[in-house]
Amino acid sequence: MQTRRMLTKGRLVPNFFSAPYADVRVVGIPRALLFHRYGALWTTFFEALGRSVVISEPTTKDTIAAGTALSTDESCLASKIFLGHVDELRKRCDAVFVPCYNNEGARRAFCTKFQAAPDVVANTFCDPPLRVLSCLVSETADKQDARQAFLSLAMKLGAMPKQAKRAWRAAACAQQEAEKAACARTKATFDAVRRAEEAGEAPLTILLAAHPYLSYDPSIGGTIADMLRGLGASVVLACENDRKKTLAASFDFSETMPWVVNREIIGAITLLHDAVDGIVLVSAFPCGPDSMTDDAIVRCIQGKPILNLTVDAQSGTAGLETRVESFVDILRYQKRGGYIHGKA
Amino acid sequence: MAKHNEGYVSFDENGTLIKCTKTAEEAAEETRGGTAEAGSAAEDADADAEAVGAADARDDAAAIRVRGFRRSGFSPLDTVVSTFGDGVRGARVVVGEAGRAFSLFDPKQARQRKKARRDKRHARTRVAFFRFSHYDAAFKYFVEQVLDADFVALPPATKRTFDLGSRYSSDSVCAPFKHILGDYIEALELGADVLVQFAGPCRLGYYGELQQSILRDLGYEFDMLNFSTVTGKPAVDYIKICRAKVNPNVSVPHGARQLLATFKMIEALDEVNDFYLANAGFECEPGSFVRTRDRFFDAMRSCTCERDIVETRNAFLDEFRNLPVDKPAHPLRVGIVGEFFTAPDEHSNLQLERKLLDMGVEVHRTVSLTNRALHYNEKNLRASVSDYVTYDMGPTSSLTLAAALKYAQEDFDGVVHVKSSGCTPEIDCMTVLARIASDYRMPVLYLSYDSQTSDTGLDTRLEAFYDMLAMKKERG
Repeated sequence: MQTRRMLTKGRLVPNFFSAPYADVRVVGIPRALLFHRYGALWTTFFEALGRSVVISEPTTKDTIAAGTALSTDESCLASKIFLGHVDELRKRCDAVFVPCYNNEGARRAFCTKFQAAPDVVANTFCDPPLRVLSCLVSETADKQDARQAFLSLAMKLGAMPKQAKRAWRAAACAQQEAEKAACARTKATFDAVRRAEEAGEAPLTILLAAHPYLSYDPSIGGTIADMLRGLGASVVLACENDRKKTLAASFDFSETMPWVVNREIIGAITLLHDAVDGIVLVSAFPCGPDSMTDDAIVRCIQGKPILNLTVDAQSGTAGLETRVESFVDILRYQKRGGYIHGKA
Repeated sequence: MAKHNEGYVSFDENGTLIKCTKTAEEAAEETRGGTAEAGSAAEDADADAEAVGAADARDDAAAIRVRGFRRSGFSPLDTVVSTFGDGVRGARVVVGEAGRAFSLFDPKQARQRKKARRDKRHARTRVAFFRFSHYDAAFKYFVEQVLDADFVALPPATKRTFDLGSRYSSDSVCAPFKHILGDYIEALELGADVLVQFAGPCRLGYYGELQQSILRDLGYEFDMLNFSTVTGKPAVDYIKICRAKVNPNVSVPHGARQLLATFKMIEALDEVNDFYLANAGFECEPGSFVRTRDRFFDAMRSCTCERDIVETRNAFLDEFRNLPVDKPAHPLRVGIVGEFFTAPDEHSNLQLERKLLDMGVEVHRTVSLTNRALHYNEKNLRASVSDYVTYDMGPTSSLTLAAALKYAQEDFDGVVHVKSSGCTPEIDCMTVLARIASDYRMPVLYLSYDSQTSDTGLDTRLEAFYDMLAMKKERG
């Protein structure tokens, strides 16, 4: 350190040891798992550091098949899809970005899947070895929040501290904008529903409560949202709400729930409970956190019909369609006043 | 007569303040040591106290003391000065027990008096843990010595336990949740007031709350000492929650000391069990190891202080070492790694260890309460597997991988990876384990337990695994 400073007249200059990823020009980001939550942050960050970013194509049947072949049988669908995306990317980039998201504080943890993702990728694609670009977000144990994690990542990429901070600012702004846009979408949906109600219609509003990687994935949650829209319902996504508010609301529901994403979903359910007609819970098979929170939701959220769907790699859409259609029919009947007293 | 070791303040009939720090028996003994007259007085006092009954033992003790002193011609407020004449200067006041200055308004004693009053209002709570491997002795010690409450001992788990648990829990939740829920239902049937649940970094952290909700929906009335609610908070909160849920009079200094003793007991249990696992497969007299281990657990259950624990451990380690074994020079060695609950718990993993021991295998298991909870240094463990992983992959992942790698490097014949079905962190470990296995050419048997896992299926797989290991060893 001392000699380096002398050579560079007091300035820190990245070298091979401090910046092992300086040569990475093209960063690949799999369009799976947390990309659907932090996509704007990640892309902007790497672009601000002068890297070009390649994002894998939206999930197809082939992605699922490739991912299933690569992963352990018992892994959840979401992580199988994730490996499928990495597989698709690895020929097209210098390094794949797989961050290790552990937690954002106490009771704001992520599923251990996100924690293990970088090592799972590195061990799955070990021959030939795949370059994995990663950073650790862990506020409780390692006292490292997202900002610090990404700043140190920028250092590894050979950025100067100033550049790194600038890149983080740009990324954080982009992320904020993306979240605002998502909230605006929810608001627009509710506005449209209100206008329809004023016009004398009886529109159905359904809350799709699922992890972002399901809600935004065209092959899983996307089909369910499309089905609901096709049946004339307005769909509100639980993940498109103010994260701070939903997180705060979730503490009224549960004291000890460890997972931040599940907390936000539950917060959205409790906040929007009166504004929607029904709730659709979607989880990937076999999802660890959802196996418990879905039980808690069904147990404690009363007064609104809840449809609990589990999607797996095998599921054909026919069975899903039947269940979704009948759920919408039930909601319609209920809205008219029930089977017996209504005019249906 | 009830025995109290604490000091307290009391008033006699004339309103004189008396300070006593000893029990009635000790007081009586003291007086007996004096004159014959005093001795008879103390006996009278004892008889009186017995007549009154043990309900107000503390007050009785005070009364006896007063009367005892009166008759012996020695008042408790007498000082050295008044006893031995006025001429002594600078004499020490000896009221009650020596060692502390006498004070009319000693805050400590006032507090203790308050406690003594409160004691009468609170019935002793009956605390139950879930069943977990052989740790019930430690749980019992924790409840009785640290929390000073009654422990509800559960009989061995049956098929009904797990059926109850799976009936009332979500289908896709992990198997330990179902086991524990079944245990809780049985504990509540046995009359438990308070159930204890741990905290953990995976789904375990949410077990307590959900189980509480399920049991409440079933109509049970109880309280839950859920350590998840205070994770990451200072020790004061742990004490607070114990006082609020179990016993308002939990003593911190006593409790802290006994907590260390509890840790000692856990270490002792695991140490002896490790010896058992390594040697029980080669016993000369069938069943001798199991019998000794059962006696050891029984002895541990009746321990009441740290000395008992250490003595029991030493005695039984000696006994185990003296048991005759017929161990070959190079026995088949198998390591067990995996998930924190299923791997150590014999009932959950369908007696996996017993089955391996019956085949004549030396079994090693690193995952235990000692290694995961007491001596867990994640960074060190991860450093040993740094060739394979960069980050902490989950609650027990580093331990699993480090143990598997250690077994591989020590030329173990095979490793059994045990987990409950759907255990996310351990599933992720399997990718890395597979790589370790191929690098070191070490067979790994992956076992995944859920509610449908059959005993026979496990037998078949284990036998096949054993045969393979034995053939591999023969070929060298």
